[in-house]
Amino acid sequence: MVNLTIDGKQVTVPKDATIYDAAKSAGIKIPILCHDKKLHPFGGCRMCLVEVEQMKGRQIPACTTPVTEGMIVSTMTPEIVKARKLVLELLLLKHPIDCPVCDAAGDCDLQNLTYEYEVNANRFQDEKFQHKIDYENPLIERDMNRCVHCGKCARICDEIVSYGAYSFLNRGLEAKIGTEFDGPLNCEFCGSCVSVCPVGALISRPFKFKARWWSLNKVKTVCSYCGTGCQLTLGVKDNKVLTTIYDENQGFHNGQLCTRGRFGYQFVNSDKRLTTPLVKKNGRLEQATWDEALGLVRQRLSEAKIAGGATVAGLVTPRLTNEELYLFKKLFGQGLGSDNIDHSAGYAHEALTAGASESLGYPASPASISDIQATDLLLVVKSDAYETHPVLGFEVNLGVKRKGVNLRIVSDKKGKLSRLPNAATYIHRPGSEVVLFNALAKVIVEEGLADSTATSLPGYAELVQSLSAYAPTAVAGQCGMSADDITALAREYAKAEKALILLPIGIGYPGHGKVLAQSVINLALLTGKIGKEGCGVLIMGEKNNSQGAADLGIHPVAGGRDAAGILEGCVSGAIKTLYVVGENPVVSYPNRKKVESALDSVEFLVVQDLFLTETASKADVVLPACSFAEKNGTFTSVGKAVQKVRKAIAPIGMARSDFEIFSDLYSSLGGEVPKGLDATFNEIAAEVPSYSGLTLEKLGENGSVYPVTNKPRFMPVVGSAQESTAGAMALVTGSALNHCGTLSLYGEGPMYVCPEGYIELNNGDATKLGVEEGQSVTVRSSVGEVKLKAKVSMRLPAGVVFSPYHFSDMSINGITDGASVTWVTISK
Amino acid sequence: MIMPLINGLKITLKHLFMKPVTLQYPDERPTPSPNYRGLHALKVSHNRAKCVACYLCPTVCPAKCITVEAGEDQNHDKYAERYEIDLLRCIFCGYCVEACPVDALKMTDQFELANYKREDFVFVKERLLEK
Repeated sequence: MVNLTIDGKQVTVPKDATIYDAAKSAGIKIPILCHDKKLHPFGGCRMCLVEVEQMKGRQIPACTTPVTEGMIVSTMTPEIVKARKLVLELLLLKHPIDCPVCDAAGDCDLQNLTYEYEVNANRFQDEKFQHKIDYENPLIERDMNRCVHCGKCARICDEIVSYGAYSFLNRGLEAKIGTEFDGPLNCEFCGSCVSVCPVGALISRPFKFKARWWSLNKVKTVCSYCGTGCQLTLGVKDNKVLTTIYDENQGFHNGQLCTRGRFGYQFVNSDKRLTTPLVKKNGRLEQATWDEALGLVRQRLSEAKIAGGATVAGLVTPRLTNEELYLFKKLFGQGLGSDNIDHSAGYAHEALTAGASESLGYPASPASISDIQATDLLLVVKSDAYETHPVLGFEVNLGVKRKGVNLRIVSDKKGKLSRLPNAATYIHRPGSEVVLFNALAKVIVEEGLADSTATSLPGYAELVQSLSAYAPTAVAGQCGMSADDITALAREYAKAEKALILLPIGIGYPGHGKVLAQSVINLALLTGKIGKEGCGVLIMGEKNNSQGAADLGIHPVAGGRDAAGILEGCVSGAIKTLYVVGENPVVSYPNRKKVESALDSVEFLVVQDLFLTETASKADVVLPACSFAEKNGTFTSVGKAVQKVRKAIAPIGMARSDFEIFSDLYSSLGGEVPKGLDATFNEIAAEVPSYSGLTLEKLGENGSVYPVTNKPRFMPVVGSAQESTAGAMALVTGSALNHCGTLSLYGEGPMYVCPEGYIELNNGDATKLGVEEGQSVTVRSSVGEVKLKAKVSMRLPAGVVFSPYHFSDMSINGITDGASVTWVTISK
Repeated sequence: MIMPLINGLKITLKHLFMKPVTLQYPDERPTPSPNYRGLHALKVSHNRAKCVACYLCPTVCPAKCITVEAGEDQNHDKYAERYEIDLLRCIFCGYCVEACPVDALKMTDQFELANYKREDFVFVKERLLEK
C-alpha cells in the first residue's frame, strides 16, 4: 500500500494504482475524456492534468501516473483549471456545436465538462472537420466530425472485443478514427464503441432521434438472451423500451454487452406482439377474451387431472423467471399430477440435469464466471463458445490478453477465439468430442498425471477400465487428430496448475449432452481440477434462465415423458393436451416434420408466447404473455448468479405475465398459489437446496452466486465414432453470433445483420462444388432437404458444413434429427 | 361639509371628458405590446420549420403541454415529425421560446384563442407554422 495526499486528504491505495484511481477512491473527481476503467490508460485527452509537488508543480496526467509514497497532489489549482479550459477550447475548435440534434447530448462528457468549466467563448478560430458520415450500416452511425480522438472505440474493440474494427488513420491535424481502408464499418456490431464514446461521434442508429437521454427512465434488469446473465439498463419512455444504456459499474462485465443484448431489445415493443388471447374457431385463430380462452384451458386441464394427469404434457422455455418456472412445475406436479414436463428439446439441458447432477451431485457448473480470468489454462470445447455467449467470449479475450491465460480449443471448426494470441485450436472430426475427452483421460491415467485425490473418488477403477479402448493411437483416426496432439494436450491440461473447461450447450448442439459433460467432468476430476479457484468446468446454458430451469428440475423426474417422449405421445394419442410456454419447437427442435405432425395430431394445444410463432399458429388457444421487461423476478446465470429482473414497462395490450396465468390455472385446479414473488422465491429457497438461505432482498443490486458442495464421482462414459456416409458432408448446427434461440428473430438489431439462415462451407469444398458466396444451394439429408444461401469461409475443415438453427424460413431442423452430426449432400 | 362633495363631483366631471380606458371589444381592438405572449408560432426558413426537434421546449415546459417527436429526413437530419401544443394546458410562460437553441419558436400577438371543442385547442405542427 502507498500513502499519498490528494487535495489535503490522506489516501492509501495499492501500489499499482494511478493518481486517478487514488483520487476516485477518496471521492475526488478528476475530469476525464479518454480514460475508461476497463481499458489500459491512454493519456490522450489531457483533461485529467494534476499538479504534484514533488515534480516541481509540473502538470501531469492523473490517469497514467502511478502513485508513489508521500506524493502531494493538487487537482484543482487555478493553473490546472486554466489548462483544462484550454484543452476544452481546443477540442471545441473542431467539434461541431450541434448539441440540439446530437443524440449524445445530456450524456456527453464534452458537453458536461464545457458546462462545468464554463467555456462559453473560444479564443481560437478554425474550420470544422468535413469528414463523410457513415450511414451505411443499420446499427452504428459514425460521424467523425464530432470525434475528439480519445481512441476509446479503437481500444475497446481491440482490448476487449478483440475485433479491431477501428484505428487512427493519418497523423497530426488530419488524424481520424477510421476503419479498414477507410471504408464503411463492417464488424460484429456489439456496439461497445458506441457505449464508450464520450461524445456523439458513434451513435446507435436504432435509437437515433427517438428520445433525449434525460427523458429516459433507466431500469436496471438482466438481459433475456443467453445464459451469461449480463446486467442491462433499459432506457424506457412512454411504456416503450427505446434503448439500452451503458453503465460501466454494472455486473461482472462492467456494462459490456454483445450485439443482441445491446441492439436486440426491439422484440419487447414489436408490432408483432400478441395483444389478446386467440381461440381457434372453425379452423381459424380468432381474438377472444381472457375468460373465454382461460375457460377452455381450465376445462381441459381439469379433465386431464381427473384422467390422472398422464394425458397432459408441458413444454416450457427456460426464458421464464425462476418464480414462473417453479409455478409451472407446481401446476403440473401438484396441480395435474403429471410429470410430463420438459424444456430445451430435452437434450440441451442434459449436460447439467443429468451430466453434472450424477457426476457432482448438483445440476450446475463446478465453476463460476470469475474463474475464466483466474485460470492458467482454458480449454474450450467448440469455438462456438464465443457465438453462444459473446460476453463470456470477452472474458476469455481479457484472460488471454491481460492475464496470460493459455487458450486451447478443441473444436470441429475454427472460430474467433482461435485468433487470440497463443491460442491453439485442435480441429477434430465432428461428433468425436467424447472419444477425444476419453482419450485425454486415458493419457493422464497412463502417464501417471492424475491427481492424488482422484484415485480415492468413487468410480475410479471403473473409469480406468472403461478407458482401456481409448489409447490416443487407437482413437486418433476416429478423432481426426494426431496421437501426438492428443497426448500433448492432455499433458498440458494435467500439468497446468489451474485449468478451466468451457462447455457451451444448447439446442443447436445435440452432441453436448450428458455423456460429453460427464467425460469432461471426469477429466477435470482426474486431474483434481474441481472445487478450486480458476479450475472446474463451466457448462454454459443456452438461455437466460437455463441454469434456473436446471436447478428447479423442469424435466421429468419420476419417469414422465421428456420432450421427445411428449412429441411421440402426441402422435400416438397418449398425450391429449399439450401446453407449450414460450418454446417454438417447430423451428428449434430437431426434425421439423416430426414436430409439426405431433403438434397437428395432438387433440388440444395451448401455446403461451409473446408472438404468433410457427408453433402458436397451430394452437387451439393462444395466450399472450409478457416479456422480461414487463415483469419482476429472478434469472439464474451460467455462473450460478441469481439476479433480479425488474419491471420496466406495463404489459403490452392485454398480455399477462406467465406468473399470473399459471396462478390462475393452478388455483382453478384447487392449488394454493404462493402470495406474490417474495413468497414464491422463499418457497424455492426452501425446496431447492442450493438456493437455501436466499431471499429476494438479499440478492441486492448485483445478485448473489449460490455455493455448491461437490459430491464427485467418476461416471465412465462410452464415446462412439461417427459413422460417415460415403460422399456426404458432415453438417454441424449451432448458434449465430447475432442470434439466441428464436427470440432474436423479433429483434430488429440482430435481423439487420443476420436476417436469414445460411450454410457455411469451406472454400475448397465450395470450389469443388462450384458454389459461390451467396448462391442458393440445396442441402439434402435422409430426413429432408432445405434450400439455403451458401457462405464460403476458411474456418471449416474440408467436408464439414455449418448452419445456425434460429431461422424459421428453411429452418435447418428440416434436415436434422437430433444427432450431433447430420450427413448431407449439397447440390446447386 | 359641502366642499368634499364638490371636490368629489369635480373628479367625476373631469373623468367625463377624459378618453375612456375601456375598449369596446370586439368593435375596438387592442394592439398588444411587442413582448406580448400569445399563440405560439414555429418559424419557417427555406420553406421548412426551423425546429430541429431538440426536445428542449418539452423539457423546460412547466405545464407539460408540448409534444415533440423527431424524425430523420432524407439528408439524415433531424426535424420535428410531430409538434403539438395543447393550449388548454399551456400557461403562456414563454419558457419554450427562451429555451429554443435555434430560435425556431416565437409567441405571436394572437390572443383570440377561444374555441368550441377540446380537440381544437391542440395545435398541431401545420397550425403552428408561421403564416
